[in-house]
Formats: sequence, C-alpha cells, structure tokens
Amino acid sequence: MSPLPLAFTLEAFTNFGFWSGVLVVAGIYAVVSLGLQLNVGYTGIVNFGQAGFMAVGGYSMAILVLEAGLSFWLALPAAVSITMAFGVLIGLPSLRLRADYFAIVTLATAEVVRLAAQNARGLTGGNKGLYCEFEAASQTCFDDSWRSLSDSILGFVENFWADPEPLLPLLIAIWTTVLVAILGLGYVQGTPWGRVLRAIREDEDAARALGKNTLLYKLQSLAISALLGALAGFFLALFLATIHPDDYEPIVTFFAFGVLILGGLASYRGVAIGAILLWTLLEGTRFVELPISEEKTAALRFAIVGVVLIVLMAFRPQGMFGKRQEMVLGD
Amino acid sequence: MVLALVAARGLHDVAQATLNGLTLGTIYALGAVGLTLVYGILRLVNFAHGDFLAFGAYMAYLVNVTWGLPLVAGIFFAMATTALLGLLFERVMWRPMRAKGAGFLQLILMSIGLAFVIRSAIQWFWGTEIRVLDVDVTDSVTFLGLRIGQTELTVVVLGIAVLVAVALVVRFSLLGKRMRALSDSLELAETAGVDTRRVILYTWLFAGALAGLAGVLSGALTNLRPELGFELLLPIFAAVILGGIGNPFGALTAGLVLGIVIEWSTLVVEPRWKVTFGFVALVIALVIRPEGIFGRARAI
Amino acid sequence: MATEADRGGALLDVEGVVKRFGGIRAVDGASFGVAAGSIVALIGPNGAGKTTLFNAITGFQRADRGSVRLAGEEVLGLPAYAVARRGMVRTFQITRALAAMPVVDNMMLAAPAQPGERFRNLLLHPRAVRGREREVREEAIELLEVFGLRDLAGDYAGTLSGGQRKLLELARALMAQPKLLLLDEPMAGINPTLGRRLLDHMQRLRRERGMTFLFVEHDMDVVMGHSDRVIVMAAGRVIAEGEPRQVREDPAVVDAYLGGAA
Repeated sequence: MSPLPLAFTLEAFTNFGFWSGVLVVAGIYAVVSLGLQLNVGYTGIVNFGQAGFMAVGGYSMAILVLEAGLSFWLALPAAVSITMAFGVLIGLPSLRLRADYFAIVTLATAEVVRLAAQNARGLTGGNKGLYCEFEAASQTCFDDSWRSLSDSILGFVENFWADPEPLLPLLIAIWTTVLVAILGLGYVQGTPWGRVLRAIREDEDAARALGKNTLLYKLQSLAISALLGALAGFFLALFLATIHPDDYEPIVTFFAFGVLILGGLASYRGVAIGAILLWTLLEGTRFVELPISEEKTAALRFAIVGVVLIVLMAFRPQGMFGKRQEMVLGD
Repeated sequence: MVLALVAARGLHDVAQATLNGLTLGTIYALGAVGLTLVYGILRLVNFAHGDFLAFGAYMAYLVNVTWGLPLVAGIFFAMATTALLGLLFERVMWRPMRAKGAGFLQLILMSIGLAFVIRSAIQWFWGTEIRVLDVDVTDSVTFLGLRIGQTELTVVVLGIAVLVAVALVVRFSLLGKRMRALSDSLELAETAGVDTRRVILYTWLFAGALAGLAGVLSGALTNLRPELGFELLLPIFAAVILGGIGNPFGALTAGLVLGIVIEWSTLVVEPRWKVTFGFVALVIALVIRPEGIFGRARAI
Repeated sequence: MATEADRGGALLDVEGVVKRFGGIRAVDGASFGVAAGSIVALIGPNGAGKTTLFNAITGFQRADRGSVRLAGEEVLGLPAYAVARRGMVRTFQITRALAAMPVVDNMMLAAPAQPGERFRNLLLHPRAVRGREREVREEAIELLEVFGLRDLAGDYAGTLSGGQRKLLELARALMAQPKLLLLDEPMAGINPTLGRRLLDHMQRLRRERGMTFLFVEHDMDVVMGHSDRVIVMAAGRVIAEGEPRQVREDPAVVDAYLGGAA
C-alpha cells in the first residue's frame, strides 16, 4: 500500500542478467550507428538503409552455414563481403541522387530486402525465419560454432567467477568490436582520406573542383557502413538465435538515427554513449511499475524515442557530444 | 505491356486486377497529393504523413464504432480532425523550425519523431489489436463480369470523386494556383506579394483532410492497426516521387498508376510479392528518372 | 575558325562549345584560346553565358557539343574531378569555403599527390602517408602566410569574413598547383583594397610561376588594368577577342553592352 503511484523494484535494478541483455542490444546499435555516423556525420550521405545491411549480413551468414554448409568462421567474412558488395551495388546508381532521394531509395531498398526475406520462403524461411531447434539434437544451427566458443570462454571465466553471466562472451565480442571500430574510425577521420570525406560533407562541388573523385569516396563510406551493418546483423542473430524479417524493420534504422542524434553528430564516442543511454532509457522503464498495461508501456517507450528526436532536433541538433561548428545539417 | 498481360492472363483477370488496383491507387493518390504539396512548398520530407492517415482512420473509428454514428459522419470527422492536426503541427513545429533555418536532415528526423509520437498515441488509446470499421464486408456487386465488394465500390467511387474535385480545385481555383506557385518557387511567390503564410496553412489543412480521408478508406478496405500509417507511407512516397515532387497532378496520376501496377504484378508473380514489387519499381524509377515521370529536375 | 588570336601555343583551346537547357542555348558555339602564362578576362553582359561556359569546360555540366583541349589533351566529357586533376581548377561565384573545416584543412585538402587520400595506402603505407602529410601541412602554412591568413590557420573557415574567404579560396586553388586557374568573379563582394591585393597576387604568380588565369569580371577598370587579353561573350557566343584597348573600342562589343541589359 504505497502512497506513491509508482513502485520501483530495487532488486531488479541490480539484476545483471537483465542489464547484460540491455548492454548487448545497446552494443549492437552502437555498431550499426557507428556506420551511420561515418555516413551521415562525416560524409554527408543520409543513409536510411542500415537495417537492410543488417539483414543482408545476418541472412547471408545463416544461409551460408545452413544451406551451403560453410563453416561459421568462413561464413562470417563471406557474408561481410556480400553485404559490402550489396552496398556498393546500391550506391553506384543512387549516390549521385540528391540527399532526400538517396534517403528514400536506401529506405526502400532496405524494405525490399526485408520483404524479399519475408517472401522467399525457400531460401530464408519466410515469416518463420531461420532459427535453431534446441530439442532436435541432430539439427545444426547456424551459431553452433559460436556456441562452443562461447561455452569455452565461459568455462575459462568460471575459474574466477562462480556463476558467470551466459551473455558474457557475446558482450565481450560486441563491445570489443565497438571499441575497435571507434578507434579505427577515429584514426581514419584524421587522415587525408577522412579529410576528403569531410569536404564532401561540406560541399561536394568544391571537392570535385579540387580533383577529388567524390563518388568513389562516397562508395567507400557506404561500404564501410555496410560492413558495420553486417557485423551488427551477426551479433543480433547470435543474440536472438534466430533470423527473422521482423527484426530488420525500418524502425531499427530510425532508432539508430536516434542513437546518432543523442550521442551527437560527428562524434564516434558519442555513438557508444548514446546507444547505452537510449537503451537504458527504453529498457529501464520496465522497472517503473506504472498502473498501465503492457501495451501502453510499449507505446510510451515509442513515444519517448519520438519526443527525444523532436526535442533534440529542435533545441540541440548537434546532440550531446557533437560539435556545433561541424554541423552541416542545413543545406 | 498491357497487351502482353492481356495475352498472358486474359482480359478478365487484367480487368479485375485493374479494378483492384484502382481501389488501392485511390488511397495512394489521396495521400500523395497532400504530401507532394507539403514536400514541394516546404521542402519537408514528412515521414509523419502516413500516421496522419492512421489518425484519420482511428478518428473515424471513434465516430463510427465507439459512438455508433454512420460512416459518413466518421469521414467528415476524420477529415476535419486530421486537417486540424496538420495545422497544429505547422504552427507548433514546422513554422518555428523554418524560422530557425533548420536543414533537411533536422526536419526529416523531426518528422520521424512525430510519426513515432502519433503512432504511440494511437497505440495508447486503442491498443495493438486489430479493429474494423462498421462497414459491409460481404456484399458485392457484379458488373461486366467483374466482381467488386460493396465497400470497395464505395471507396473507389468516393475516392475518385474527391480526386476529381481536388484536381479541379488545384487547377482552377485561386488557392490551387497559389499552392502551385509556392511549390514552384517560394521566394518568387513571396516577392509577388502572395500571403505565403496563409497559403501554407491552407495547404496543411488540405493535405490533412485528404490524408484523413485516405486513412478512413484504407481502414474501411482492410482494418485498423497502429502500423497502418507506416505501411502506406512508402508507397505514397513512391507516388509523390514518381509524379514529380510538388506536382499534385503527377502525384494523383502516379498514385493511381502505382496501385494498378502493383495489382497487375499479381498476374505475373505470386500475390505476396506485390508490395515488394512496388518498392522495386520505386527504386528503379528513382535511379532512372529522379524527377519523376512528370517532374522537372530541381534543386532542393 | 580563324580569329585574331594566334592559338599556336594555347594552353586552353576551346572550340564550338554548345550547352543547351531545354530550348535555350546558354552557350551557343563558343570558341577561344588562352595562351600559357597569360591573364585573360572573360567579360559580357549578364546572361551572356559566362558561368555556364565555365561549367561546361570544367566538366561541371555536360557540354552538348564542342572541343576543349588543355595542353593539347581533350577534356570535354571528362568528369569534373578529372578535369581538375589535369590542371584546370576553377573557383565559384559564391565562395565555397568549406566552413565546418579549419582553414588549414581547407588548404591541405587541395594538395595534389596525397597518398593518404587512398584508403589502401592508409593500411599499407602509413609512413609515406604521414611524411607527405607533413610536407603538405608545411606548404599550406607557407601559402597561407603569403596571403596573410596564417594566423587564421586553426580557425574554422566559416568564421572568416567574406573577403578572407575569397583569399582562402584563391590560396586553396593554388595549393592544387593548377596549370590554369579559372576564377568566377573573384572581385565580387570584396572591398577594393582586398581586390587589389588579389590582383597583385595574380600578377606575381604569373611572373614567378608562369601561371595562367582566366577570370570572369564585371569591373572594367580591373579588366583594362590587369588583363593581357579580353574575351567578350554575348548571347552564348564569343563576339570579340583581343587586347583590352582594342576590345573596348570594338563596335560589336559596345553594341552588346548597350543593346542588352548590362
């Protein structure tokens, strides 16, 4: 009989298992949004197709393992290459379009990928998705190799920590990737190559007048973004142990933009922080036991992201860590 | 191409698909006309437009099912409220942002945020369960050997009637001319002394009303669910772009054509692919001819 | 096409360039030559097609017909970046200083032969990349010094005044070590003192480095006092070509300026 209309469950706050899940998802979004940051924040190309890259990466990997019988560790680089090739294929005709058209083309392409996955039942399992049968011992799963690696890591950790969190290996893999990506991208930004990208972001014609083949650079930026998208797709597949079209809806791309804006344009570190913040915010509301239904809570979370986007864009478009002078949003 | 289809599947099938396509296309066209004017005049890629349609549908639900009034009342209510919704956001969001000199990315992201907010509001009040309007779903009419549901027929007739009215208004009325002038060049219209603020407001009312209607019709044809808005958004964008941004006649025609083409695709590929087909068509069209079938190349 | 100019040693040789927009011929068969080491002014009433001509010969717009030869090599039809790479660099009417980048970055961007601009080299030849980067930075600072912008090197280009931005654009174009520099209204919108400084730079660069300039200009004093040759355009065509004094007295030129809107 609490006098407060809200009740916090303190115990739940310290549930490491729960927060591991949040950190995994945050990490996945960080990876995908880092690619988006390279595109939007540093090259000036407004790419709304990240969810599509995730889907191509995830599905390629799973299909290669399940249908073509490739080893998981071979399927990973193969799937990355496929996704990057896909990115270049999309980019070639569409990068010369003006910004808003490009945005819509990438969004539409991502949807084509998702819908194709939904409908090409033979290849992708359609609406059932590709998943793992845990009961059928003889059935191979696309993440078998990962599972055994994960188990051995956990076995090792058991020497120090009695009951390790099962998601730990995945957490390590994801956040190491995030760290490496942040360092890598940060380094590359300061190079002459990165300088050309920034010039393209500012004023593509000026860059061309100085002898830069801008299409080539934009393609490279998109390809790297596709790589990161594929990685994010892998991690998602490993986390959920299924690959399903519903996990690659445009809302994923929109959330990635939310992360981008929250953390700040032109800041790679900001992406990581933005991802953690956003997902903590979204998932943390689970602990607030509001006297409303499950559905309404879901709606509320959606609304929060929307309000965050609106408020940030209106009052602090550079996000938390973005630099105002580096902003080229108005054009 | 039409002849090839006819040869392949027979006149009856093609005609039936055309009829279905017209029904779908009417909804796209109604949504697209409003969106293209907003896009053309304000350079705003309004991702929330789809949710305007959803809003209209649910407003009609309120009147038609919750309050038990006839659907006609629901339609008017939906159009009025959605129009006002458009107006509200223009005053509260878009105009201040324009005054700040907000750029295209800022506006897009705000419109996405707005789409989220509207959709979650709908989900808050009406939940995620599928709802239906109080319409006749079983009765059908047969003519010339083609079958069409009672509701579908009403949708098509009403939709096309409104579209014709819209076309006339845009073509011949003063407001219509002004809207087109602003769409061509906002600066020029301003220097010519047109009260652009007012025209913009009317454009939002116009776009909102049409969106509301499109939403109700869509809800009548299928059902009501919170995702309705987003599902319709991309095809409507396709129609806007194919018709040439800022060109209401182009949007109207493209919407109808798109609906028909999507339905025709069911004659060639399996029906579940038809939405995919629509998007592929959009991508191809954008790459080949970004200014649309009826548009002129223009800088944003 | 016989004209008064001797095109034997021309660095730039333009012949019969046509550019149409819908039904309008913005450039309707323009032909002229620019000799190496000269400073040439391109003048003409508004709407004569000067900027379109610039766009057409530098690849920013696709010319419909004609020939453009730079140092003997045909460049018509090449993409804009390729034309720039071959040594014909242009500036724009409205300055395009890359505002959200520091001044020195603006400059370093323009330097040619930067291995660091190719992604492969970042991974395979990091030392070469770093070495050249150091060189480029030194060159950039030196050049900024010449233009009096050295103190602003670290500032974002967006914070510079209009006149400073024009100087930056010129300096940046020079970093690219062009054979031929096309300046689209370099004097527009800057005060006379700064304008004179710009002109002095041009003369000095021509003297010391043998650079060639082709610039669009409206100010007759500038044209008369600072150019070796003048090319006059009207209605998309070249109607006169020659020394400044000659051109000024050419009846066709007088007609074009008085007849059309100046």
